[in-house]
Amino acid sequence: MQLSIFFIRAAVILVFIFILTGYGAAWGAVGCDLNDPDRDVARLFPESTGYKTIYTSVSQKGGDRLLTKIEKRLGDKFHGIYETIDVPYTIYEIFAKKKVGYIHGVNQKGQFGGIQVFLVLDLDGRIKAFYIQKITSQYAGKLRDAKFGKQFVGLTLKDFDHYDVLSGKASGKVEAIKNPAPQAEADFRAALRATKKNLILMDEFVYSQQSASSNPGVP
Amino acid sequence: MCKALLICLVFLCFAGAAQASDHLLYFEAQGIAGYSSELGKPIYFSMNPDAEMQKPSLGFDYVRRFSGETGDWATLAFQGRLALAINEGKYKFEPQAYNAYFKIKTPGPYVWVGHNRPAFGLSSYFDSHGLLLRTLAIQGFGYDRDWGTGVYKDFSWGDISASATTGSGMPLYFNKNSYMTAARASYGVLSRDNMNIGFSLGYGNTLDTMGYKLREPEPRRMSLVGADFTLLRNNLEHRFDVLAGRWLGTDTHAFFYRFGINMGEEGRVKIEAQPTYWKTGDEKNYQLSLCFSVLATSDLTVRTAYTYDNNARDNRVVLQLYYYMRI
Repeated sequence: MQLSIFFIRAAVILVFIFILTGYGAAWGAVGCDLNDPDRDVARLFPESTGYKTIYTSVSQKGGDRLLTKIEKRLGDKFHGIYETIDVPYTIYEIFAKKKVGYIHGVNQKGQFGGIQVFLVLDLDGRIKAFYIQKITSQYAGKLRDAKFGKQFVGLTLKDFDHYDVLSGKASGKVEAIKNPAPQAEADFRAALRATKKNLILMDEFVYSQQSASSNPGVP
Repeated sequence: MCKALLICLVFLCFAGAAQASDHLLYFEAQGIAGYSSELGKPIYFSMNPDAEMQKPSLGFDYVRRFSGETGDWATLAFQGRLALAINEGKYKFEPQAYNAYFKIKTPGPYVWVGHNRPAFGLSSYFDSHGLLLRTLAIQGFGYDRDWGTGVYKDFSWGDISASATTGSGMPLYFNKNSYMTAARASYGVLSRDNMNIGFSLGYGNTLDTMGYKLREPEPRRMSLVGADFTLLRNNLEHRFDVLAGRWLGTDTHAFFYRFGINMGEEGRVKIEAQPTYWKTGDEKNYQLSLCFSVLATSDLTVRTAYTYDNNARDNRVVLQLYYYMRI
């Protein structure tokens, strides 16, 4: 009887919460935030004066239809706990008096659990900086080295169009990215897949929305 | 405590009117069941029926960011549970408030006000909210949360934090003689360097509480020094925490080491071993724990923990089903 009362009370509270929030979608999975946004934004975007945090997800932005589109662009299915449809993505809009760019991170399965890859992007979707926030491999230092990250500067989603995340075959500027730690090939490939995924997500969440709003007549 | 939870829900009313993009809301549910050889019967708590964690419960976790024209300037956090304490055939419902703070960004450090982690030891940054194994604070040496205010600032080499709180832990008691001040400085950025080493100082007169139960009405002297160290390498985790000085008016020193292995393609399986030792006054004790965790889905974790307590000669096994889902 006591247990029944407990669960009835709990159910009432839950209904109350659901009504308050007004959201019907049930989400899960772990997102990817900057551990210290103040320090990291200042380091990655030295000219910034502030930032705004925005949460979104594939489920919120377009559901299964958007997921299918993203998977097609990526060249691989989303799988595992880091790539569910309801993963919350955190986008940092960066300001230097006005908006000057974005920082966005994604989780990716690495050799030893998940790695977190952040990209700093300008308003045109060009990579200004590449940053691996979380990686516990003993070769983490080499993949976090500035020399490795510099290879990504200036690249865009277009450069990753022909990068095959499944086979690892690349061409053009992506092929020129060298692995500084051959013993950590799995994490190197994970970093490339995460970068392509990150760029596709930002294109779907932000850049294509901006194009649509600036060209209202274009289907 | 019903008042605290009610306040949380009232704030949630206003928070619910915000746009979806500036806040996160999670639903939490957990089931706890086990067996204690000392008690000779099934138990429905992981540590003690009076301790706040872990018990069967339903809860929520809410974080909201406030932004202006130049960006984020504050964060509001609420984390609450309605727990069920089952002991000797009696049932008691216990509303609990964990995170309940407002944090403001200033030109200098971040400043928080409310219920948050005091700036002492490993528990000042290591989140045990859903875990079975206990840190020193959860074991009773310090508080996992306390009411008051604090500041912290991150640097490129590490961080510094300080707090001034009521010295009461989970419940909000205003006793003119009870307070706790703490400060911690650490070297290393865990997410970047995979290591962090911290040194802590704590001073005050603190109340002997376990969960929401006040065990002694008068506060007692606290003066502690502590050190903590975390190292992550490949799929291995090492966490150390040690403190010494006076706690609740008694000479105390305590030590814990937690070793963890992450296994499986996404680190879904975790095995942890933890020895803990303490001496308080003339009483010495140690515990040995082993915990096996599986992330069954992205929302559900199943944990089984075995703990041996030397003084109680207790062999305890606890099973936890932990569900955490964004809504």
